Amino acid sequence: MTNFDLLLQQTINGLSLGAMYALLALGFTLVYGILELINFSHFNVFMVGSFVAMATLQAFGLNGQQVILTGLPLAGVLLVAFAVTMTVSGALGVLIERLSLRPLRNVKGPAAMITTIGVSYILFNIVLLYEGADAKNFPNPMPAVRFHLGGAVLDLRVVLIWIVASLLMAGLWLFVQKSRIGKAMRATAQDPEAARMMGVEVDRVIITAFFLGSALAGAGGLIFGLYYNFTSFIIGFTAGLRAFTAAVLGGIGNVPGAMVGGLIIGMIEAMGGQFIATAWTDVIIFSILVLVLVFKPAGLFGRLAPNKS
Amino acid sequence: MLTRRGAAQLIATAAVAAAWVGSKTARAADATYKVGLDASLTGADAESAIRVRNGVTMALDEANAANAIPGIKLELVPFDDGTATAGQYDPAQAATNARKMVSDKDIVAAVGPQMSGAGKAMAPILSEGGLAIITPSSTNPDITNPKFAEQFRPAGKPIYFRTVTTDAYQGPNMANFFADTLKVKSVYVLDDSGAYGVGIADTFQAQAEKKGIKILGRDRLDPKASDYSAILTKIKSLGPQALYYGGVGQAGVKLAKQAYDIIPDVIKGGGDGMYGPAMLTAVGFPAAAGWYASIAAPHLMGDTKAQTFVDNYVKKFNAPPDDYTITAYDATLVIIDSVKRVAASGKPVTREAVRDAIQTAKVDTIQGPVSFDANGDLADRTVSVFQIKKDPSAREDDVSRNYQYIGVAPQS
Repeated sequence: MTNFDLLLQQTINGLSLGAMYALLALGFTLVYGILELINFSHFNVFMVGSFVAMATLQAFGLNGQQVILTGLPLAGVLLVAFAVTMTVSGALGVLIERLSLRPLRNVKGPAAMITTIGVSYILFNIVLLYEGADAKNFPNPMPAVRFHLGGAVLDLRVVLIWIVASLLMAGLWLFVQKSRIGKAMRATAQDPEAARMMGVEVDRVIITAFFLGSALAGAGGLIFGLYYNFTSFIIGFTAGLRAFTAAVLGGIGNVPGAMVGGLIIGMIEAMGGQFIATAWTDVIIFSILVLVLVFKPAGLFGRLAPNKS
Repeated sequence: MLTRRGAAQLIATAAVAAAWVGSKTARAADATYKVGLDASLTGADAESAIRVRNGVTMALDEANAANAIPGIKLELVPFDDGTATAGQYDPAQAATNARKMVSDKDIVAAVGPQMSGAGKAMAPILSEGGLAIITPSSTNPDITNPKFAEQFRPAGKPIYFRTVTTDAYQGPNMANFFADTLKVKSVYVLDDSGAYGVGIADTFQAQAEKKGIKILGRDRLDPKASDYSAILTKIKSLGPQALYYGGVGQAGVKLAKQAYDIIPDVIKGGGDGMYGPAMLTAVGFPAAAGWYASIAAPHLMGDTKAQTFVDNYVKKFNAPPDDYTITAYDATLVIIDSVKRVAASGKPVTREAVRDAIQTAKVDTIQGPVSFDANGDLADRTVSVFQIKKDPSAREDDVSRNYQYIGVAPQS
């Protein structure tokens, strides 16, 4: 491999990782933008999403990497898998909000945030108890098609991840910018009191934010499984923490910031592994985070309160 | 003031009490002592932990049923050193377990731990408590190395015994196998940041260098991370003939899956951390095929002597055992034999006496005669090498048939 091929390959690796982090980071940012709450249960909604996706794919009779589909059946199976996973994960997010966070809505202090950590551990342990601790072989019906770009290899799966992640993020962007409820979300983010006075149903806005964020996390979980061909009860922590870092790096509460932050963290991980050492990945990521926050405390794209849309 | 009637009552009570105590001593012929077990029953290594526990259970059940030690029954007290947050063994939990074992005076010896990281945490506590433990699978050499005696056996006497050899042989012998048998000229070395993984990768690397294999690099995986494509791409660009991974399944499973995509043609091998059903079920075929793995014990499955054991095991637990089930069973046999010798000598069965008996043990087990050197290491130093190859007629998770036995790794 030439140096150029190597850079290209690591860029491909970094962008795939980044796309996943971005999908996850959006969930943190959506909820934070509206509630100023860091929702740690998001880590494991992502993990549960990957298990829902696995169950859905298995329901189609897919097992490991043995069954390969092409054309329409493949598209159909993936479409159903995305629809089911995103709906179930979104509903899980709404359930978490309704059961554990709404009662704490008007409680000052860290109670709500601690609650989300608790919910995260509950999900984590439920999956551990029901599914066991061993890594699971995630069904993958996609044919192993590979494009060779010089010495670099671009897998069909990777292209699919980019396309799906871009579509989801573009969809979210349009929704937040154009739709009525999206506008209500932005209004609530800017000033919840004023929004309420103008007739915005804040509860509905919050539920929408939880649903969308969790649905994206579920999509992230499915993409994760298809990309790595495995899932396990523990995947939420590292991925969640890095995605959260991405959200903060981009400016938490800011939607394009989360996307850019995700891509940056993904690229740092790939390039750090290449040019420094994989063992140093976390040190590099968090050093860059600290540096950015020192010079831009609100993150790359964030603006400081009170105006934080 | 003691009245006459009160005095009569007192005497009567005392007489009843004395009779009760007397009957207790009469029945003390059936004394029960406890054998502790520490294994990673929660987390990525739970399956092999259950096999270890089954091996110990089987040995104790057989001994109790056959009244192997006249008048003494042995009871198993299992402890779990895996935690949900770690996702695998957790040294802090292992240390807690060691404290619990030491504080239970009825525990006269223990089996475990599976993992070297747990062993390093437990050894100093067990040493202070004078409790001997026999590990069926932890292979990090530091724990028994006299150079680190102050750290791992501060009380002096060896308390950490093994029915497997150590990575002082497992890593180097695998390097010999890479150099002599596979004719590997260049290698990249990875570990999983754990005590076992770093240790075995270090010893592999040192011996590989001695054998003239070029080390193209060394890096460390975060077992909780999911993506190893960056480091695998780097390895691909360096173009080594082989990859050696020191570590356990949590990182190993993901490494094997991604290595199959990125560096399919590189020879890949690991230690006993890569020997187990997770490689077959979680990695699956074709990604798992071709991986070499070693174990720090002679290969016994398929051996005629082991066959009876395997048959009985399958009958009892309805699942296949593996080689470390046998080393766990053997470790328990050593403890049973030691308790028996102590009891036969007429001395009280204390931890100290049992430890001394283990030190001088010469027990005929499934793997052959087991005895220990002055540090607690197994006298036999066999390292066996396997390669994963799908046996289409076997169950997917059947380790004994999907890991093809290659042979004994060359000794240095």
